[in-house]
Amino acid sequence: MSERTSFDAIVAGAGHNGLTTAAYLARAGLRVLVVEKNDWIGGAAVSRSLHDGWTYSNCSYVCSLFRREIARDLDLPKYGLQVIPYEGGASFTRDGDYFAYYSDHDALRREMARHAPRDADAYARYSQAIMRQCRFIRPFLLRDAPDPVAPGPRDIGELAYLVRKAHDLGARELGETLRFWTMSIGDFLDDHFENDLIKAHLAGSGIIGTGLGVYSPGTAYVLLHHYMGDIDGGIGAWGFARGGMGAISDAIGAAFQAHGGVIRKGAGVERILTRDGRVTGVALEDGAEFHAPVVASNMDVKRTMLEHLAPEDLPADFRRAVERYKIRGSSAKLNIALDRKPAFPAAPAHASFLRGDLHASESLAELERAYDDWKIGEISARPYIDMLIPSQIDPTMAPVGAHMMTVFVQYAPYDLAVDGVRSADNWTEAQRARLASIVLDQMQVACPDIRDRIVHMEVRSPLELEREVGLTEGNIFQGELTFDQLFFNKPVPGYAQYAMPVRGLYLCGSSAHPGGGVMGAPGANAARAILRRETRGRRMKGYAA
Amino acid sequence: MTRHDAIVIGAGVNGLVAATVLARAGLDVCVIEQSDRLGGMATLSVDDGPELAHLVHNLSPRVRRDIGLDPHRWPFRQTALPTVALDESGRHVIVTRNAVTFADGTAHPDARACLALTARLRRYGELLRMLAEAAPPGGDAPLASARGLRQILRLGRFGLGLRGLGRAEARRFLQVLLSNAYDLIRDDLPEGPLAGMLAADAVRGIAQGPRSPGTVFTLIHRYGHGGVAALPQGGMSAVVDALAQAARDVGCTLRTGVRATGIQLQDDRVCAVTTASGETLLTSRVLVGSGPRLAAELVGAGAFDIEAMRRIGRIRARGVAAKVNLRLDRMPDVPGLNADQLRGRLVFAPGADYVEAAFNPAKYGEMSDNPVIEAVIRDEGAIWLSAVVQYAPSDLNGGWSDAARAALARRTLATLGRAIPGLDARVRETQVIAPDAIAAATGAPGGHWHHAEMTLDQILTLRPANGIGRYAIGPRGLFLCGASTHPGGDVMGLAGRNAAREVLG
Repeated sequence: MSERTSFDAIVAGAGHNGLTTAAYLARAGLRVLVVEKNDWIGGAAVSRSLHDGWTYSNCSYVCSLFRREIARDLDLPKYGLQVIPYEGGASFTRDGDYFAYYSDHDALRREMARHAPRDADAYARYSQAIMRQCRFIRPFLLRDAPDPVAPGPRDIGELAYLVRKAHDLGARELGETLRFWTMSIGDFLDDHFENDLIKAHLAGSGIIGTGLGVYSPGTAYVLLHHYMGDIDGGIGAWGFARGGMGAISDAIGAAFQAHGGVIRKGAGVERILTRDGRVTGVALEDGAEFHAPVVASNMDVKRTMLEHLAPEDLPADFRRAVERYKIRGSSAKLNIALDRKPAFPAAPAHASFLRGDLHASESLAELERAYDDWKIGEISARPYIDMLIPSQIDPTMAPVGAHMMTVFVQYAPYDLAVDGVRSADNWTEAQRARLASIVLDQMQVACPDIRDRIVHMEVRSPLELEREVGLTEGNIFQGELTFDQLFFNKPVPGYAQYAMPVRGLYLCGSSAHPGGGVMGAPGANAARAILRRETRGRRMKGYAA
Repeated sequence: MTRHDAIVIGAGVNGLVAATVLARAGLDVCVIEQSDRLGGMATLSVDDGPELAHLVHNLSPRVRRDIGLDPHRWPFRQTALPTVALDESGRHVIVTRNAVTFADGTAHPDARACLALTARLRRYGELLRMLAEAAPPGGDAPLASARGLRQILRLGRFGLGLRGLGRAEARRFLQVLLSNAYDLIRDDLPEGPLAGMLAADAVRGIAQGPRSPGTVFTLIHRYGHGGVAALPQGGMSAVVDALAQAARDVGCTLRTGVRATGIQLQDDRVCAVTTASGETLLTSRVLVGSGPRLAAELVGAGAFDIEAMRRIGRIRARGVAAKVNLRLDRMPDVPGLNADQLRGRLVFAPGADYVEAAFNPAKYGEMSDNPVIEAVIRDEGAIWLSAVVQYAPSDLNGGWSDAARAALARRTLATLGRAIPGLDARVRETQVIAPDAIAAATGAPGGHWHHAEMTLDQILTLRPANGIGRYAIGPRGLFLCGASTHPGGDVMGLAGRNAAREVLG
């Protein structure tokens, strides 16, 4: 029997969003092919074993945003998805103190009072404000962003929904909401807290993955982007996927295959085929061609449009807008195999918060200076680090007694400046070693013996992220989370509803609304758009519909 | 005891405009000003040096009409100045409304792109002016009331204006409106003096860098009335004289040297203003030209609910622009510029990255090593180079001591010297007016040009803070009318005019 080359839909890229789109389409009865350039699936939600016995979540590393509606629709627990929440976290200081964040409200209050009594009082107000914003935004994640300029009937419906939700807030809360959405996380925290360390601890989520500093307007939204998820209904909670982040992709992949879908690995897309302004399929790097009237690209919008389509396939204005799409690498990653758990001398032995996210930034000014370095193409002298040891909770990640550590680093530029020249080519082995050394120095604030614990270490600059996962410039969100690239502007104005200017071509990755993070929402929303527009009578079923 | 229908505290540009609009509606209005001169921040000067504001670019025809001046022209002459983007190597760029060339007259490769960009900004400016020329949308007016309907009509007009841009341009507008100036500029222009000049214009007077989201809005603000910087003949005093004359013409009482020390209440309603000289001026309406903090101080915090006080306390207003005036012994020679060009608006900002780098130290309470400078050189008897120097934060570490002011003057000279060689040898006298001095002399919070930072979370209904965005503040009869309210500062007068209309209801 010859291999099938014709499908109802092809998804280019087996990231968690691409797989989500594919799974929903297959579930609706379409014959779907997923092609993936790597020999494994998952994109940036992946578990890899790079050193025998250890498993790295070597890109994304914690989970919260993934929409539970999708997990239910696709029955992901049946395919092995298990998310284990972690509790707490801490920021360590150079003078041997720490601020511990507890999810237990009373413990957190006591800890805050230890540093600043007024901040303990302010926290109730702060968390209320954040929670209110989370509640406000969550219903929008699985809805389409309306087009305000040329609204069709569905857009008017969505706009009406938006207006109603805004009206429900009342004048006072609406004002607070607009303010929250447009302000910087630094200013927002200054509004509430006095203590530098507490502010530094809370600010991290406002900058992760973006080319913005803690005092850049708009970073309060970035914080929200990290808080609007949940684990088992615990809004804002984060956790580990058992077996690493790849467990999420694997589960979606398995659900997809259970619905008859086909995944082809080691099959990078060379070209997206078009004829008469409509997609006809994809041509792979190995020369094979597969045909379908619908192609959904899980790649970022820049890669999809500028590298896999010919300029003449696209309207000039659209192409220009895509060229100007901002997708800046700002973060790096260290994945470390440890012979045993490093010591945290400042913390009480067996402190529960050591199982959470650990940091070593002491003030907003320090974080802002880290951003200043990045702006001119330097690795931050004192970067923001977000480190976790998931093997404390998930024993599958490392051999017995040993541990695995994941360290997210910000900021590291994609186009590193060396001798006045900014270029990604500057990421030599020596520069990666320098990056690792800077990060390890910063980590030693918390765990001075870290260098002695290392069995194996993977250092990923933005360039590696681009090369391996395909994320342009190594931007983890497939695009900056700034106002000009959010909601109806995402990825570019006029194309926020997944359908691209070539008929049959859809965007289903994090470049599309509502954006990055292991969320699955762009994938589910894209599937809904495809089913509505391309198939008669078939509708998406489930909670996410 | 005297009684007035309304008392305006502070005779700045907005205070004068507010008073005139009220008086034209038949109210008996008294303006009291603590200093012995009118004009507030606009006319602040040291000895006979140049005034704090040296150029106008946002004078509002709407204000001119509403204060009863000739609807077609101002009673003083204005000279539109070309902008000269200074270049260290002498390749200065001359920018006017319709042309961008090198100073030697040769064509500039980015002229088209630059003109297209500024034309877009101008169109956006016209659109946003619709919002600027009225109280901000929002508030608690019921939809069915006359006020509510007026608001809906206004928003509808704005929507039509948006449509008038055309679909593609409307999309671009909605995309860039909340974005950062750096990307907007650098998407169309290469790094260099042109990009630097636009970046500098985007952040003039505000504590943001061109990479900060929200600076496209402030750049559009610069283009709200065409974007042309003009030099009023007779300086800012001529502008203020015209406004003061308009006020007097409709019967306003303007009193200088009168400092308000308190605002009295009766049944949660304003009833009088007390002054430092012990006078009690009876009134039922008080408009405060300075920020909300002063208003709260005058009334007493007890008259505000705790949340309002907290919000007022959190309004950000860090002035970052200082004034450095240099008296020269003669006009300097600038290689590459002729005598006429030298009298243009000189901007030293060799690139957008330069502007951003200048902003970095200000975040940590330091002044820029290499500041961004806008200067004009006037020869009226004495030759003065009048420079707005940024960034010089009001909360400078260690305070604005003599040494700090001297350091700022030195850095200003060194920076200007990069394009104007030998400038330091020309200097006979130096004046530095730092933000702290501006605050002390005018009551402007933080010495900030706009009395409150012009960031997206402090504009429109949120200006200066949520809940006090429509001029009324605290007890009945108390209003704000200064730059801290919508649509902000500049020698524009719209804030005062809008406030007065809100007072009239």
